[in-house]
Amino acid sequence: MRTDEELIELYRKGSRDAFEELFARYHRKVIHFAYRMTGDQARAEEAAQETFLRIARAAFTWEPKARFTTWMYTVARRTTLNFLRDDKDDRDKVPILPGEEADDGSPAIQLPGPASLNPEEMAWSAEIQERFVAALQKLPEGYRSAFVLNRGDGLSYEEVAAVLGITVQAVKSRIFRAREMLLESLSELLP
Amino acid sequence: MECREFREIISLSIDGEASPEEARLILDHIEECAGCRAFERKTRAIGTGVAKTEGAVPPDFREKLFARMEAEELLPRRRSLFAFSIRWAAVPLAAAAALALFLVSSPEKDKDAVSTRERLPAVARTGPAVETVQPSSRPLSGSPGSRLGSDPRRETPSVARAGAELTPEERDIIAHLDILEDPSALDAPGDVDEMDIFEPPHRRQG
Repeated sequence: MRTDEELIELYRKGSRDAFEELFARYHRKVIHFAYRMTGDQARAEEAAQETFLRIARAAFTWEPKARFTTWMYTVARRTTLNFLRDDKDDRDKVPILPGEEADDGSPAIQLPGPASLNPEEMAWSAEIQERFVAALQKLPEGYRSAFVLNRGDGLSYEEVAAVLGITVQAVKSRIFRAREMLLESLSELLP
Repeated sequence: MECREFREIISLSIDGEASPEEARLILDHIEECAGCRAFERKTRAIGTGVAKTEGAVPPDFREKLFARMEAEELLPRRRSLFAFSIRWAAVPLAAAAALALFLVSSPEKDKDAVSTRERLPAVARTGPAVETVQPSSRPLSGSPGSRLGSDPRRETPSVARAGAELTPEERDIIAHLDILEDPSALDAPGDVDEMDIFEPPHRRQG
């Protein structure tokens, strides 16, 4: 199987199949990353599309100093941040947090009680996922990026540091702080 | 060491970033500390929950992206099967065209020319026999009931007629062709330049 870097090189030489292979490998990861970062499905789709477009545009000048995935997540994060900045001015897109009233006056979704919170055992539901997404959105972007890249996408601390352009020690600190904040946000779900 | 410090190491351990010594230290501590044990369990649960938090992949996601890329000329367009077939069909078509050209043009024509020329000496040999026919007897040779039917050399009357109409220059050419047909008629190499045989005798002498 060809490496990501070989596929990029083939794409630069005009291979459509090479880009399709890269797309097949990573489009789900990019969409999931963007969703965890934005908490909005439509924004996640737009950000993921834009990420691949930027990768395609930059592929011809990209110098493979790091792994392709490091570069891909760097592009994905920056693209997602741009979408988040756009969202700040769009008050309609602020996510409705659990327990708050929806705009139409109907009560928010009732989530399962604390006894059911054990993702290893409980049936994963859309409601619980929304709760997690909402908790992630409360994190500062730096913490969220580090935690999502590590826990969501499986990047090592070193890879996360490369994507975020920070030290490994800073990654450790951010992830720990993110965990503390998430425990607090999700405390009512935790037994 | 305080519990907060242990929890930092627990966080590293969950992510696979703790050293073996740190991992052992944590195991010893959480056996004794209920708070850190709960922290370890809840933290793992949160990590699993975040990993399970996924966006949906719309069915037209790929088509939308590739359409945008093609619009920006970032993606080579895939050739259609028809174009692909035409491309490969061009190979045998080109081969057939080349063969047709080969048959129509020089090789076969040259071959015909050579074979015609090769027949000329035979015509030349029959020529004198035809030439023996007196001009006054020509009407007889073309008339019905003549001896054409019994003479095998008359099976090619047009050639015979051509032989009958040979001019002195043509006879000279045929004479030279006879020489080419019979190698013994050639001068030995070294006597004269081989190409000299095509020159008139008077020039060779000079």
